[in-house]
Amino acid sequence: MNTQQTAQLKSSANGFARRRSERESGMRLENKHQSGKLNQNRSMNAIGTSKAPVYESPSRDRLVYLSTCLIGHPVEVRLKNGSIYSGTCHTTNVEQEFAIILKMARMTKDASYRGSKQEYVMKAPSKTLIIPGKEVAEVIAKDVPVTVAGQSNELQNERHEDILIDSSISHSRHVELDRELSPWVPDEDDPQCPGLENIFDGPWNRGWDQFETNKMLFGVKSTFDEELYTTRLEKGPRMRELEREATRIAREIEGEDTEDLHLAEERGINLGEDFDGDEEVRFSSVIRGRGLDDSGYDEDEDILLDKRNTETFGDVPASSGAKTDHLHRGTSNDSAGALLTSSVDEPQCSQSSNGSEFFQSNTYDHCRQQADDLPCKSSTSDCNGRSLYRNPEILRVAQGHDSINASIETKTVAVDGKLSKSNESQSAENSQTAGFDRGGLLADAPSVTSSVKEMPPTEPEVVYVKADGESSGVSACRQPGTFASGSDHAGATSASSHPAVSPSSSLIGSSSSENSTLNPHAKEFKFNPNAKSFTPSHSSPVRPPSPVSDGSYYFTPNVTTLPQMHGMPVGIGMGPSYSGHQHVLFNPQVAPLRSPQPYFHPSGPQYGQQMNLGHPRQVLYMPGYQPVSSSQHL
Amino acid sequence: MEGSISNSGSNEDFAVGCMLSIKTTLGDEFDGQVITFDRPSNILVLQEGSKPGPRRNIRFLKTNYIKEFSFLGQSEDPLDIKKCYIDLQSLQDREELALRQAEADAERIGVGVTTEAQGIFDALSKTLPVRWDKTSIVVMNEVRVSSPYLPENVIGGTPAANDRVKKVLELERRRLQTRP
Repeated sequence: MNTQQTAQLKSSANGFARRRSERESGMRLENKHQSGKLNQNRSMNAIGTSKAPVYESPSRDRLVYLSTCLIGHPVEVRLKNGSIYSGTCHTTNVEQEFAIILKMARMTKDASYRGSKQEYVMKAPSKTLIIPGKEVAEVIAKDVPVTVAGQSNELQNERHEDILIDSSISHSRHVELDRELSPWVPDEDDPQCPGLENIFDGPWNRGWDQFETNKMLFGVKSTFDEELYTTRLEKGPRMRELEREATRIAREIEGEDTEDLHLAEERGINLGEDFDGDEEVRFSSVIRGRGLDDSGYDEDEDILLDKRNTETFGDVPASSGAKTDHLHRGTSNDSAGALLTSSVDEPQCSQSSNGSEFFQSNTYDHCRQQADDLPCKSSTSDCNGRSLYRNPEILRVAQGHDSINASIETKTVAVDGKLSKSNESQSAENSQTAGFDRGGLLADAPSVTSSVKEMPPTEPEVVYVKADGESSGVSACRQPGTFASGSDHAGATSASSHPAVSPSSSLIGSSSSENSTLNPHAKEFKFNPNAKSFTPSHSSPVRPPSPVSDGSYYFTPNVTTLPQMHGMPVGIGMGPSYSGHQHVLFNPQVAPLRSPQPYFHPSGPQYGQQMNLGHPRQVLYMPGYQPVSSSQHL
Repeated sequence: MEGSISNSGSNEDFAVGCMLSIKTTLGDEFDGQVITFDRPSNILVLQEGSKPGPRRNIRFLKTNYIKEFSFLGQSEDPLDIKKCYIDLQSLQDREELALRQAEADAERIGVGVTTEAQGIFDALSKTLPVRWDKTSIVVMNEVRVSSPYLPENVIGGTPAANDRVKKVLELERRRLQTRP
């Protein structure tokens, strides 16, 4: 609100017949406003052009003050001809007459209009309306804040979002209140910090037994047994020791220093009466301004997930596994863990948009290490548990498929963390199936494994063993199975279980050459839930990798083509589009395969990335897969 | 017409804190308490309503337009000088906010349409997303209702949407008729 503005106003008056306004005076008025305080108007009041010296009087001050209060406020101006305009007050000039400039003004009553109300035609509001003082008869404004209390931080309340935080509510000045708010104080007789009563204190400790009372009063027989709800304490000779130990630890923890306000409060660390912070700071669980950054999952989350994985599965030199493209780096899963694929973590899985969860292939190195080092911290039970959950195939594996059994067992063992050599390779492959968890699509086809076994170790291509854990296991042995991370639950799990870990791209090539358990060229394990026992068929060609259309991670071969591939986890994101995908079908016999082919990445980009490096080849082993059908894919 | 300001008694008449009952030439009648009276400009500032608090209803009235007034009583100064401060920045912010709001509201007002049409628009907007397109109401970006906004004038959109708009329109019209 300054001279410039008023000047602009002039020109911007919306085609509205500009009424002469005392703009200049208006400008001067602005000057007066600068002072902000009622009594300082004096100096400003040297209204140059005004002829009659304005008498500085308290009344004038008040007038000026009040009219200033109107700025930004909706007002109604009644003209002497009876018309009424409503708008937001932009500025006023009360020196001579009450001149006013309104923004977004509308004529709410037209004195000259004689027609019936019904037909009154609406007009667009004027952006700026300048009304000369002479015309003004009256200016009416409602709910004008005239004192400081009404003004300050008014805007905070006017947020058009309807969210009011506690602070602004309790600092009641700013909110329309129905009643006076006063802070809560506990009653006099309330204990300072009432402890949570331990209701499980034995009834012998208390003077009142609720069950007895209830029975007496209402005849209700209770079947309450405390130990149904709580851990049974062994009250044995060691009890005292244990108690002592426990209290010691408790005290230690509670005595710790903490930055967290809430923890501090719980622990009784008194913050002091004059702690700076309104109730929101003190009682809310939202922590502001601590540099927490929720934005972007990316690296941080990867790291986070890795960390979690590490915790779960034991320390693995996995790189950030979260992202699919990291997958191959073997998020932490040791080979055994492969089953679990660190990335298996739910969040991770869900993360990858494409069901990235999918591929976790350990890099060769990782696998190796893992194979060797990992104690499979993911404790056996844990592993087992997880794998069970996530990799149903493991279960099956456990249940024993014959030929595979051996491998399976090894695998299982591997899962348990003991990586045996044989397993290693296998386990290596046990690609961490990401996302296997869900499903349980255990590959029905155990056979694959066996077939896989036969695969020449050196295959550069990745033999994809899917579905069957076993198969995967077997394949795993040798080749870096790519493992379909099926996030999809559907078959992924199984696939996952066996994860051929396909070290991502880098791994390629003759695995056999290596002594390492992992086949560096292992491809990702692709889970084929329907995989049955593998019977190599000469006819099945190895399909050259072809660009995948996009998206779905899960290398589910032939979802559409192979009839037996039902239950393929389409959900993984492959969806119908998958049909367009091509996968490499590995035919064990053909295995040695024509030269390493460009990596065929059926889906997820990440997969591709990995693969491309080493020309891994995904091979989907489909029992009885007829090349014909697959041909459509290519 | 000359207000009833007489030089001699005006000072007392319009002393701060006076309660007055005023009739204006424009036909307004109201009661208010004098906050201030500025002689040079003849502006009388009154506070309406007795509700205490930071916010008041205020009238700026040029005494020229007072048809008659009567003195109701004398009370204390309604304005506490000590508490009167103005924060320019917040004023400006408030203005901006108000303008934004006003502009948003302006969108909802049809230009060159009758009040009846506007009423229909407002009624429709309670349950349907509507906007103006010149003098047609566009509902859900599909269905147009043009003047005179009768059910027959509902055109466009999928049959389902069309029917829905028709129905709502009929109901609204009926409601508007029963209410004057």
